[in-house]
Amino acid sequence: MKNKLILFLLLSLGMFAIPACTDLEVNELDSVPSTSETGGSSDPTALLASSYEDLGAFNDQANIYSLTEHVSDEMIPPTRGVDWGDNGVWRTLHAHTWDASHAYVLNSWNQLNERAFKCTRILASNPTAEQAAEAKFLRAFYMYHVMDLWGQVPFKEANQVGVIPEVKSRMVAFDFIVKDLNEALPLLPDLGPVVEGNGKASKSAANALLARMYLNKAVYSTASGEGPYTFDGADMDKVIAAADAIAAAGYDLDDNYFNNFSSQATNELIFRSTTGSSQNRTRMTLHYDHNPDGWNGFATLADFYNKFEANDTRIGNYPTPDGTEFSGIARGFLVGQQLKDDGTPVIEKRSGTPLIFKPECPLSGATTQQGIRVVKYHPSDQAKLIFFRYADVLLMKAEALMRKNDDAAALALVNTLRAKRGASTLTSLDATKMLDERGFELYWEGIRRIDQIRFETFNKPWSEKIVTESFRVLFPIPQQALDSNPNLQQNKGY
Amino acid sequence: MKLKFDYLTKCLLLLLMAMGMSSLVIAQRTIKGTVTDAQSGESLIGANVLVIGTSAGTITDIDGTYELRVPEGATQIEFTYTGYSAKRVPLTASNVYDVSMDAGTVLDEVVVIGYGSVKKSDATGAMTSVTEKNFNKGAVVNPEQLIQGRAAGVQITQASGEPGSGVNIRIRGTSSARNGNGPLFVVDGVPLSGDETTGGAGDGGLGRSGSRNPLNFLNPSDIASIDILKDASATAIYGSRGANGVVLITTKSGASNSGGLNYGYSIGFSNITKKLDVLSADEFLSEYEKLNGADAAKLIDGGGDTDWQDEILQTGITHNHNVSFGSSSKDGDFRFSMGYLDQEGIVKESGFNRLTGRFNGSKKFIDDRLKIGTQFTISNSRDQAAPITENSGFVGDLWSNALKGNPTAVVDSAGVLQQDNRNEPNPVAMIEYTKDFTNTLRTLGNINAELKIVEHLSFKTVAGFDRSFSSRKSAWSSDLNVGGIGDRGGRLFLNDIETNDNLWENYFTYDNDFGNVSFTGLLGYSYQSFEFASKRAEFSNFRTADLDVMINNYASANQGAKGVVGSNSSRTKDELQSYFGRVNFGISQKYLFTATLRADGSTRFGSGNQYGYFPSAAFKWRLISEEFVPDFFDDLGLRLGYGVTGNQSIPHNVYQPRERFNDWDINNDGNIEGGGFSFVSSANPDLKWETTKQTNIGLDFGFMNNRISGSIDFYKKNTADLLFLVRAAQPSDQPFEWRNLDTDVENKGVELALNIVAVDNSKFGWNISTNVSYNKNEVKNYNSFINTGEINGQGLSGAFAQRIAEGQPLFAFFLRDFVGFSPDGAQQLYKDGLDKQVFVGKSPLPKYNLGITNSFNFGDLDFSFFFTGQFGHYIYNNTANALFTAGALASGRNVTKDVIGNGESRLNSPDVSTRFLEKGDFLRLQDLTLGYNVQTGNKTIKGLRFYVNAQNLLTFTNYSGQDPEVNTNKALDGVPSAGIDYTAYPRARTVTLGANISF
Repeated sequence: MKNKLILFLLLSLGMFAIPACTDLEVNELDSVPSTSETGGSSDPTALLASSYEDLGAFNDQANIYSLTEHVSDEMIPPTRGVDWGDNGVWRTLHAHTWDASHAYVLNSWNQLNERAFKCTRILASNPTAEQAAEAKFLRAFYMYHVMDLWGQVPFKEANQVGVIPEVKSRMVAFDFIVKDLNEALPLLPDLGPVVEGNGKASKSAANALLARMYLNKAVYSTASGEGPYTFDGADMDKVIAAADAIAAAGYDLDDNYFNNFSSQATNELIFRSTTGSSQNRTRMTLHYDHNPDGWNGFATLADFYNKFEANDTRIGNYPTPDGTEFSGIARGFLVGQQLKDDGTPVIEKRSGTPLIFKPECPLSGATTQQGIRVVKYHPSDQAKLIFFRYADVLLMKAEALMRKNDDAAALALVNTLRAKRGASTLTSLDATKMLDERGFELYWEGIRRIDQIRFETFNKPWSEKIVTESFRVLFPIPQQALDSNPNLQQNKGY
Repeated sequence: MKLKFDYLTKCLLLLLMAMGMSSLVIAQRTIKGTVTDAQSGESLIGANVLVIGTSAGTITDIDGTYELRVPEGATQIEFTYTGYSAKRVPLTASNVYDVSMDAGTVLDEVVVIGYGSVKKSDATGAMTSVTEKNFNKGAVVNPEQLIQGRAAGVQITQASGEPGSGVNIRIRGTSSARNGNGPLFVVDGVPLSGDETTGGAGDGGLGRSGSRNPLNFLNPSDIASIDILKDASATAIYGSRGANGVVLITTKSGASNSGGLNYGYSIGFSNITKKLDVLSADEFLSEYEKLNGADAAKLIDGGGDTDWQDEILQTGITHNHNVSFGSSSKDGDFRFSMGYLDQEGIVKESGFNRLTGRFNGSKKFIDDRLKIGTQFTISNSRDQAAPITENSGFVGDLWSNALKGNPTAVVDSAGVLQQDNRNEPNPVAMIEYTKDFTNTLRTLGNINAELKIVEHLSFKTVAGFDRSFSSRKSAWSSDLNVGGIGDRGGRLFLNDIETNDNLWENYFTYDNDFGNVSFTGLLGYSYQSFEFASKRAEFSNFRTADLDVMINNYASANQGAKGVVGSNSSRTKDELQSYFGRVNFGISQKYLFTATLRADGSTRFGSGNQYGYFPSAAFKWRLISEEFVPDFFDDLGLRLGYGVTGNQSIPHNVYQPRERFNDWDINNDGNIEGGGFSFVSSANPDLKWETTKQTNIGLDFGFMNNRISGSIDFYKKNTADLLFLVRAAQPSDQPFEWRNLDTDVENKGVELALNIVAVDNSKFGWNISTNVSYNKNEVKNYNSFINTGEINGQGLSGAFAQRIAEGQPLFAFFLRDFVGFSPDGAQQLYKDGLDKQVFVGKSPLPKYNLGITNSFNFGDLDFSFFFTGQFGHYIYNNTANALFTAGALASGRNVTKDVIGNGESRLNSPDVSTRFLEKGDFLRLQDLTLGYNVQTGNKTIKGLRFYVNAQNLLTFTNYSGQDPEVNTNKALDGVPSAGIDYTAYPRARTVTLGANISF
């Protein structure tokens, strides 16, 4: 009996001595494991193409775009019965009552930082000089938004594994982005205006981003991001130099304001998305009974609309329904009776009454007809989303001149623009008029938040918003980001 | 045939004689007899007959008869048979011993444990064994349904009433905050991978529809028993896959066949249990007019009076045929079976049908020292789905449109389906103009050989495979007027999944007694590989509206920018390599010890962390053998167990940076998007096994001749190094990454199983079997949070209802605390004026699970009814949140009657809040069976049984939704949810009539 036990033990030992069937090495069949020391990719070309695709995140009416628009005085996201409650994400943005658990604050943080990191990967992938310059521009573009929205930018190199990312303070990040842009500039292509608009990084795109950064440097360089802000003449000179370089590349104002948002030729477009469509920009605002049907959502504020001069072409035009598809939809502001493509009035199906948009719009419990709607990218000739266009650059230059107390030169530039847009000639310029002018020209283009911060109107009251805390010029670091990275410190006030 | 068996019997006897020669005394005699079932009188085939104190023995043949030479001086013979009480008979002068055996009480059951089996009385771990006679009956599609409510501590929730829909099974609570909370299923020794074997459908804009239960391929009537290993001392032998319990499925062998042919047929009729009480056409019009005025009411009045629920529902008819035959002899047995199931759903055009074949067989060679066996099954199923989805948005899926559909609209006019609003599709059109089916072919089998090397020592090798091919085709015709479908020339999604798992296992078993010490040792090696491949394609812009042409001639989709896209394909292979061992000691039949250890190496983890070690130990003190235990006990045993088990259910290779081209898809505008190139996983070298430590204390007891018997178990289960999909610290490649968190998930609970033989005489028997379990779940040491429980519907984008956080149960409800409406009804008011989500102290996880079976025998009649229930939890009624509000009615959508006069204004925004949180308690009369066994007295027809069964006859609940047993998959960012109801396929009540006949 003992012998058998010994035999059992021997056999058992033998079993463990048998060489294992497998060394548990994984053989990847549907993906390529990266072995790069630098953390780079095997295919920088594909990764760069993918990084341009990533710009599609801005097409969404939610997330990044919502953080730049719904917090401002030119857009309101009312709840309309069962619509647009959406767990409070919209109304808290408008009322400036968001907190660190806000879904769009979190999503935007992730989207922008992931996209920036992909560029860091490209730079570690042995790219060509031009690819490296493009990746640096794209990284600058994504990181700029992080710096602008949160005032802190986490960063790690592509080959840093298992480390907690360092956090760049706002001005350190500012300098980092400027450095990227300056290194990229000489190697980026010198692209002039093209019909489709440039979907590729260029010297002018880099200059436009530099202009925006230097114009806002006064905001970025304060400790908490809160005003008052002091603008440095040297920074303004950099804005002007960047604007001049863009003009020298052939960019200019177009005679027809709405050409910019259509597939028509225009000389204004410096950098635009190549991916997806801008249709969310129209569907988020159009009514169910429009053609195309929309989601009956966002409107502009009556006070904002009322500032426009009647002759300003930027206010839009009544549609000219001729039976062709979407000809019932106006460009610009949609006010009053809405028309079908054949010119007959739209009757709202739910109420059985004519669909007439009224300017006043409450934040909660709005009816389906309250609030003026806004269409820039018209459904009949919808173009890709614009990131930088020349009118913005021109106004940035004018503002820089104004902040250098060269009011005459600034006024001349503003009036050049106003003349193109059919608005009256201004005789004088001040901060209010400059901010208004940016609103007239750039409404709903995702730039209003930082403009209002820079002009120190961001915390002031407007319709359905009271005077709000000054710390709200920065968004909170999302709670889950704080939990994942102890180097991040929550922004003041949150 | 008969001759052959006699011959075999003789051969065996010769062998036995040869083997036992040395111990045989000179004088012998031959005894014979028949062994029968005491209750049915049927002969028992393959019963063991042993002369006590010798090695002389035999088994009964096909007629239940035996012949045995007994040595002189022998005094007793023992009859044993699986599932029956052993019987000892003293030898007298007679040479004929006919014995009738009683179905065993709990004590004598043999239960299957990993890599072996033990007598229930010797089992040291916490386990529940459910055998065929206790299975749920009626329209049962998959093995989980057989045991739903039958085992303490096992909570089984079918996601919806859809035939073949996914099943959520939780053993002793939920311990992981990700998918992969289900137990390990082992079918005849082959562990199944937890992977899906069928694809989800492309969503066509109306939401995602879930994959089907991967166990649908098994024919429940092939299953002999299901053994559930619950505590870690029992599951640790399965190491890394044991943390959520192990379910061992044993299919029927020839040994249980009487040698004849069995045929069973049943027909079932299913109807919806409860339609939702929505407004009638008149009520709808008058209420709509109150909100929007007479002009609007005129516009919306379609002039009809349609009950849209009736329009899409039907009486589902289920046919089930099973044929089996088999036989056993002293050196082997076999069983062959075929089954065909055709189940119609209660929603038109939905259903499940399956053809299965199974062969189980074994044979002994070389003086019975080598036994070769196989269990092999092949299953071909077709699953036809209605367009009911888990996360439909504003437009809704089929069920939500049947609920919200304008009751004044007409189905069709002059034969043309009315579809005038692309946001409010006609439910009948949704059925007519869509087709979604999945064909799955799956084979599972193993070949095993067991060699008795020397006395007491044997070696077993098992080669197993599990191969499945499934193809889902989901077509949406351009005739369907829904945005993204009708205006995009229709949609087609193809989704194929292939799995290929292989197993090779080898183990030695040593079994011997040393004086009063019994010893069993097990040592083995196991290798299993898991291969998973998928491919998907999408089509739109068809030149045809014909669904069959779309599917079978897909060149009808225009190529180009808005036509066809190969979404993506994938293929991954993972491996698991394990060494395992177990020792069982028994001292004087009083003290029983078990210790196990398994070392698992898995490719799911990077080098350095590939191996995990999972030990366990258990002790059982059979108090009944002690003098001091009072006589009124017939059984008393105390069990203690502790063990560590693991979990590796994370995706393939998430520890190494890898690049891959991303999926393409066609968006609702018909544009092709995606196809980027990115890092799909990052370097994560520290990723390691999640471990669960479990302590179990159990008491087995029996009184009054074991007429009252049962067990009670207390357990505590802590899951540490939790594998969690957490927010990655930005910047990173992906928003999430897998991490081991220092967080614990604790499950504590009590389980009680009780069996009472209330009446037991020859004419009338009454047996009561109950199980009750309590479980408390809590997340500890977690310094962050994760949201889940996505809520969908109009105005509910981005909404969620659950949060995983410190001090809360998993998936705790995190909601605005609704207290009422503002006076004008246009605002929801919240506790303390807080328009914010907070923990409301409510959990979706049931605290109590209950099952009670009463079974009766009156001669040839038998009757049983079974109640099951879940208590102490809440359900979030996403269906009501999305559909049943004043604002929805104002938008021209039908609502339930309780919306009228609820104080809500049409302008209210119905944010996610406790307004839609309801108690989920229910008690259900799940199964009621009345059967009659006909005494045929006929040599040709040996057995005949008729039965009628009602499934889901009555449900007691206060839940306002269609059914309280519901679990729509509302995962958010890959984190699963629990207890949310969103337009779930409605549940049916089924009455089944059936007959079994054996020849």
